[in-house]
Amino acid sequence: MLSISSITARQPAPGSADRFGDPPGRPAPADPDGAVAARRRRNEVLFYRLCALPALAVTLLVAAVPLGLLIVQSVRAQETGDWTLRYYVRSLGNRFFTHTLLTTIAIALGVTAVSVVLAFPLAFLLARKSRLRTLLMPVVTVPRMLPFVVVGYAMILLLAPITGVVNRALLQLGVLHHPLFILFSWPGQALAFVYSAIVVAAGILTGVLIAVDPELEDAAVSLGATRLRSFLSVTLPLSIPGVIAASALIFATVVTAYAIPVMLGGRVPYMISIVIATNLLTLQETHLAFAQAVLVSLLAVGVTVAAQLVLSRFGRR
Amino acid sequence: MTLRAGAPAPRRRRGPSLPAILSALFWALYLALIGAWLIFPILLVVLASFQGNLEVTWPPGHLGFAGYRAIPGGYWQSFWFTIKVSVGASFCSLLISFPAAWAMVRGRLWERRLFSSLVLLPEIVPQLILGIALLTVFIPLGLSNSFAGVMLGLIALNLAMGLRFGEALLQGLPEEYELAAASLGAGKLTALRLIVLPMIAPGLAIAALFIFMQNLIAFVLLFFIAGPSATPISIRLFTDIIDRGVVPEAIAMSAILVYVAVIFYAAVALALGPRYMAGALMSRKG
Repeated sequence: MLSISSITARQPAPGSADRFGDPPGRPAPADPDGAVAARRRRNEVLFYRLCALPALAVTLLVAAVPLGLLIVQSVRAQETGDWTLRYYVRSLGNRFFTHTLLTTIAIALGVTAVSVVLAFPLAFLLARKSRLRTLLMPVVTVPRMLPFVVVGYAMILLLAPITGVVNRALLQLGVLHHPLFILFSWPGQALAFVYSAIVVAAGILTGVLIAVDPELEDAAVSLGATRLRSFLSVTLPLSIPGVIAASALIFATVVTAYAIPVMLGGRVPYMISIVIATNLLTLQETHLAFAQAVLVSLLAVGVTVAAQLVLSRFGRR
Repeated sequence: MTLRAGAPAPRRRRGPSLPAILSALFWALYLALIGAWLIFPILLVVLASFQGNLEVTWPPGHLGFAGYRAIPGGYWQSFWFTIKVSVGASFCSLLISFPAAWAMVRGRLWERRLFSSLVLLPEIVPQLILGIALLTVFIPLGLSNSFAGVMLGLIALNLAMGLRFGEALLQGLPEEYELAAASLGAGKLTALRLIVLPMIAPGLAIAALFIFMQNLIAFVLLFFIAGPSATPISIRLFTDIIDRGVVPEAIAMSAILVYVAVIFYAAVALALGPRYMAGALMSRKG
């Protein structure tokens, strides 16, 4: 994984120009060489800062400032502009909002757990069997490159109540007597999420499992453990970072997903993003929508940041 | 036959044992099920697009291109809009983020942690809130519902990926090359142009491809800042299903997006070899 700490850990290469530029230990400002080197270092720092400036400017203007404005507006009354927390209080005190939020969290947790468990053996195969990998890689990668909308269409073709392939097959076989109405309710949405999340989890877990040396398992086996036992007590613990990273990413994505919940949604909104979008676009309760968006984002960002913290502790050990 | 090749030879065992058979069965069943679950829905989209019908029948009756011919001009407009805006945003974001990555890796600036976290912000924050925030800022500026607005939003999103790719590429390149160039009198920009860029060009091309793909499938962010006169294809398909329900043209367009993904995979796999896809996929977050 790409961590910034590896840069910090890097020692300056011997003979690199900026060895002269680190001031504290260096003697005498009277030393003309030191002064020149310090100026050169200052110029270098300036040059690098200039390199970084465009990225900084774009991020500030197109992400940080708008987000800041949104947060500010979420604590101001929409009509008068007074400072108020009433949108937060109203949201959290509203049973419909909290109920939908809890449902969303429950769906996201379920999707995360199911897809990580289902993806794990797949990732194991991808990491260990190089011949299978050439075969499986497109299967795992292509779904990841499809917009959610296409996944939604695929799920409609697969699971729709009357026209869906699964329903018609089961009806013809006589397994069912009435079509299953799972699509336009929460199970259909959960299935669509699992479809996308499996490939995400498989990608991340494969990356982690490739890094786990297979000889460690062999060592466990040579000491008398069964294959299963060596997997459970060697491979699984070593792949925990991947599980954490994948879970956080999937949870944060599902909690704030919008396309699938609307496409495969019924009359009852199960997912919180629909409530927010309705408040914003249809009901014109913009500041209420801002506050709710902040609440949901706090949840998603909180999970991501917590996962990063745990991962960095793992990395330090 | 067991799938676990490379295991130390079992001691004094003649045929395959029961656990070995069971585990082989488990793997075969698992692979078949998960493979079917991942492939079948995509195949359905492709099949339905050729049947020009919402009801996929088997055996397939009349296959034809009727669905594709029925794709309205608006869809193609959105499709090319998406391609154009994605290419533009990918190019601009690499142009902006690569120098930043260079500064982060080589510059030894004290503020690099702060800077990296800030640039990664649009990726950590859900697209939902970023989209809403951009919408409220873009409306008074006249940028919502415009090519420039969509592109700006995508660039902000892409910088994070560009920065991470750039940092990884530069960390993999020993600084000594640049120092050697500097010792021969080359300035920083000359070293960058003559030494660094040629060496990491393949990596940059891959980064560009991945950023392009991210733009192609971006949805929630664009849902808020797009509008009738600037509609990416995923938004167009989405609003269509809301307004008119599932129509054969939309399925044909979805199938085209499937082909784009397949072609993209083939391009990257040919360029990299499938082994490295895993690493590239992993680098998406964390």
